[in-house]
Amino acid sequence: MDIETQVHTFITFVIPIFALAFILYIVRALKGPTIPDIVLAIDAMTYDLAAFLALLAIYFESPILIPCAIVLALWVYALDVYVAKYLSAKEMGE
Amino acid sequence: MVLDWVLVYVGEALVLIGAIFDVIAAIGLLRFPNFFVRLHAATIGTIGGAFVPLIGVSIMSLGCGFLGPTRFFVAGGAFVTALLILFLAPAGSHLLARAAHISREAVVYPKVVDHLEEDRGGRHG
Repeated sequence: MDIETQVHTFITFVIPIFALAFILYIVRALKGPTIPDIVLAIDAMTYDLAAFLALLAIYFESPILIPCAIVLALWVYALDVYVAKYLSAKEMGE
Repeated sequence: MVLDWVLVYVGEALVLIGAIFDVIAAIGLLRFPNFFVRLHAATIGTIGGAFVPLIGVSIMSLGCGFLGPTRFFVAGGAFVTALLILFLAPAGSHLLARAAHISREAVVYPKVVDHLEEDRGGRHG
């Protein structure tokens, strides 16, 4: 068995584990009683989605998925900052 | 080549550890009772579930010779993303926890003493 088939077999084995985690995160994001709960679930899910995209970049052998992971990590930090600003000051800032 | 196999196996071990941490964090986020308790599970999900597999992907792609020159691109991008998550995720969680405490959006249920609430002139104890 060469490296390519070994890596592809491993990634096909790992994808369902990540998918199970995403489903559980989405359940919490839909149920979440308060706004911080929803944002926390979306937050953790998006950081894991960035790791999942980096894994898919190896699986599909396409380098174009990697900048998406960087942008996703920065975007969800911006979501955190804006929601925290709105919750504590009741305004979005300039 | 032996070094390629070593890199691939180390990376796969880190990715597998990260995936298991990810499921544990998701179960914790679903089962814990309120927001401030769920913060612990979310921290496992960001550092253990995103930082560790990204380092694993970075190491694993260096050993994947079939990717060609793309593998350096994947390794560098995954490493930069891992560093960003390592610095930004605790800051984001802290901001969110502070905002939830200030706006009284979430209850502080299993508590012994709450000095922040007392400093704002709230209810003691």
